[in-house]
Amino acid sequence: MDKGVAIIAYAQTPFEADANASREIQVLEVAKTALEAAGLKQEDRYTVISATNDYCDGRTISNMRLVEPAAAYKKNESKVEMDGGYAAIYGLMRILSGDHQVALVMGVSQASVYARNIPGIMMLDPTFDRQRWLLNEVSAGALQARAYMNAYGATEEHFAGVAAKNLDNAARNPLAYNKLAGADAAKVLAARKLYEPITELMLAPFCDGACAMVLASGEAAAKADKPVWVKGMGFAHDSYLTERPLEEMGSLELAARSAYDMAGITDPASQIDLAEVHENFAHEELMAYESLGFCGKGQGGSFFDSGATLLGGDLPVNASGGATGANAVCATGLARIIEAAMQIRGKAGEHQVEGVNTAVATGQTGPCAQENVVFVLGGE
Amino acid sequence: MAHTDVAVVGVGYSKHVSKRRDVNIAEMVWEAVSACYEDAGLKPKDVDAICTGNMPAFEGVNIPELWGAGHWGAYGKPLMRITTGGTTGGSVAHGGYYAVSSGLFDTVLCIAFEKQSDGNSTMGLNTVALADAAAMFQQGVDPGFLAAFGGGAVGIAVYQAASYMKRSGCTTEHLDKVSVLCRTNAALNPYSHLKQPGLTPEEVAKTTLMQYPIRFGHVCPATDGACAMLVTTGEKAKKLIDKPAYILSCASCSEEASLMGIAGSGTTNMDPCVQESCKIAAKWAYDLAGIEDPRHEIDVAEPYSPFAHQLLMFYERLLLCDDGEAPAILDSGSMNLEGDLPVCPSGGVISTNAIGASAMERVSEVALQIMGKAGDRQVKKEVHKGVAHGWGGAVNLNVVAVLSDTPRRS
Amino acid sequence: MGSGIDIGQVPKVSIPINPTFGWSVGNWMEYFFDGIKEGKLRASKCPACGRVFLPPRMVCERCFAKCEDWVKLPETGTVQSFTTAHVKVGADGELEDLSQPEIIVLVKQDGADTCVAARLEGESASVGMKVKAVLDPSAENFLDMLAGYRPAE
Repeated sequence: MDKGVAIIAYAQTPFEADANASREIQVLEVAKTALEAAGLKQEDRYTVISATNDYCDGRTISNMRLVEPAAAYKKNESKVEMDGGYAAIYGLMRILSGDHQVALVMGVSQASVYARNIPGIMMLDPTFDRQRWLLNEVSAGALQARAYMNAYGATEEHFAGVAAKNLDNAARNPLAYNKLAGADAAKVLAARKLYEPITELMLAPFCDGACAMVLASGEAAAKADKPVWVKGMGFAHDSYLTERPLEEMGSLELAARSAYDMAGITDPASQIDLAEVHENFAHEELMAYESLGFCGKGQGGSFFDSGATLLGGDLPVNASGGATGANAVCATGLARIIEAAMQIRGKAGEHQVEGVNTAVATGQTGPCAQENVVFVLGGE
Repeated sequence: MAHTDVAVVGVGYSKHVSKRRDVNIAEMVWEAVSACYEDAGLKPKDVDAICTGNMPAFEGVNIPELWGAGHWGAYGKPLMRITTGGTTGGSVAHGGYYAVSSGLFDTVLCIAFEKQSDGNSTMGLNTVALADAAAMFQQGVDPGFLAAFGGGAVGIAVYQAASYMKRSGCTTEHLDKVSVLCRTNAALNPYSHLKQPGLTPEEVAKTTLMQYPIRFGHVCPATDGACAMLVTTGEKAKKLIDKPAYILSCASCSEEASLMGIAGSGTTNMDPCVQESCKIAAKWAYDLAGIEDPRHEIDVAEPYSPFAHQLLMFYERLLLCDDGEAPAILDSGSMNLEGDLPVCPSGGVISTNAIGASAMERVSEVALQIMGKAGDRQVKKEVHKGVAHGWGGAVNLNVVAVLSDTPRRS
Repeated sequence: MGSGIDIGQVPKVSIPINPTFGWSVGNWMEYFFDGIKEGKLRASKCPACGRVFLPPRMVCERCFAKCEDWVKLPETGTVQSFTTAHVKVGADGELEDLSQPEIIVLVKQDGADTCVAARLEGESASVGMKVKAVLDPSAENFLDMLAGYRPAE
């Protein structure tokens, strides 16, 4: 996909436990800011893809009331009901088709106004698991964490270390809300126990937030300042959580393979400068190291121990604090893509990493990271 | 840029009935998917990606493919969920079109479904009306008001029907005739839900009045059903089948206002029968497809019409005639299976409404008509080009696709 | 939020309509539940690859074959993963503390290739631990007939 499509602008609201603003106002703010940054006006031609979820929003056809604030009035508009990373995929497809030149993509949800763990329970098999009220996104995550520990010897200390890194990184990110400067593993392990081995500080807490991004064809991006190019992308679906080996992130591996093939990445650990990973729990970040090819199978824990993924390391992961720092369902993966683009542009502020030219970003949907999307981004 | 041609090479349906208690959601969808694979002569291994969607609030299952997509051959494949309310099926088909035309995927399986008997569709529709409940309650509005007057889609449709009749000269007799046109076509379609061979306008006129001008006989049923469609590149399509149906273009237009309107119509200052977004989407789609004169170039139309007046209204909004002309065209017989521009040969949404699937079934029917595979309901004239439409949102989301027997680019 | 617009707290509203859902479980699951009533654990089997599904599935996701073969499984299985729960999800969707921790296990029934998540009646769990199903054909809700597991020894 050589120089096919570029990210030319983006915007994020601050992510907050309670934004004290309507969903529409949050969307209006990011849509407006992103369009302005792209030099676009409402009367210009562009397509709009939003990522929202009817259950999180508590309304059927969740995109319907967002038409005006999302600058989609009388536009060619659609919605993916997945992570915002998929909205980026759909926007990309629309541009590559040649029918559209510019796409505004966005993701939003407001955990402060929905029953936070219910949409996840509603994803379960309605003929069995759902009604037994044992599985939910957190308990399923715990089962995955234990399966991973058992298979590869990762420890609770590893998980705590990852969480501490992300909480500390988040403290440098003005948009993150779940932050703890100087956090350490001991603090994470001592936090409230939820489903063992997961403590309250190891999970990405649901919050309020919105983000938007403008994608443009090579032609339309020609005038843009510092466009960030989509070098590769991939996405994949995996089996239902009780029907697959939980110690693997199969869909992330497949998605990464296709994104790397497209981007010509053969040795991710050396070719990628930075990663922004959508981890709903600390252990998922370790599993992602493996699926993204940063280290061998089962080496996630030792790769973390090497310090490579710290802010000053060789391959910083979640310099922004990741989903641990801010997790607004449907916006989280898109925020990872935006953060990766910010790093490439050198605009990440206090959590900027030096010399980022190639970055990878992921998003996910479903319990135990069932579906994953991967983007490889590059500068000039 | 890729600019690949896109063609439909297979279509499959599940049974379409009121209640399927013998299968769960995933299993019902499997019926459509396996029929579709068989129709195209393909297997899951030949599929590069999947697009799917339904209206999740209706069944009460959030992102049902997380649990069910193993039944559809999705194991390890890229899968994208697209949901946009009543237009969902159309939006899913559009997703399939873009997935292929982008050059990223060769063969894409599009799946749209609804199992209405598992859930509570009035509840689903009421959450459309209740979308701004928070603001309403703050102002002291009685929830009972919303339940009574929001009333799901029927509440909105009566305003739209009355307004359309006033503007167009359409009479209640026209509504009765639309029901007859659709339900008798449906009798020839093995996958339709309400089949009424030999139905007469007089019989429709005797059904219970719901709210003027809409009678029970003018309204869609609630259906359990699924539709699957395989799309692939023009090149591969030619190798697979003799007569693929090319999707020339897709366009959607959203004209929904954010504020609560009367009884949840969602649009405070717009007449729900204007449907300018349908005209805009149709114009965009015709332009991309290179169609200059849709009235003469389109051979078959599948407007999305769960209510009788909508068949006429959307015939006009799809730019197939001037505003207000459709009732007379209906009277002329041109919309019949043997007419000049047959409309809803499938029997339309008024005969079969598995909501998430409905807008895709418009696309698949036009595809079947072009492929000459519509069986007893195959229209008499030769079909070169057709238009498929979907309508939804509160009242103002429209999706349009144009299909043809010849590709757009090569 | 920095937008300068102070709209006040958006109130939480519980919609005054209780939606009722009546999911059809389908013939495969129904046969499974009928089996439990007789104390039998029935799993469906893929005719192509031999994968055995418990709970049963109608279609093998890997082969796209209809699983019309059935096998009766023993009551024993192996713990694949487990978690000690200190919380549960309350009706408001928040995690509320349990007065007594409980153990949730992911069990692969002997002879099956997929897992069941259930409660463990016991003090502790470990991966690889042998367990035995606790069947309760008298349960009011058929979903509770596979009540949980207890250590096999």
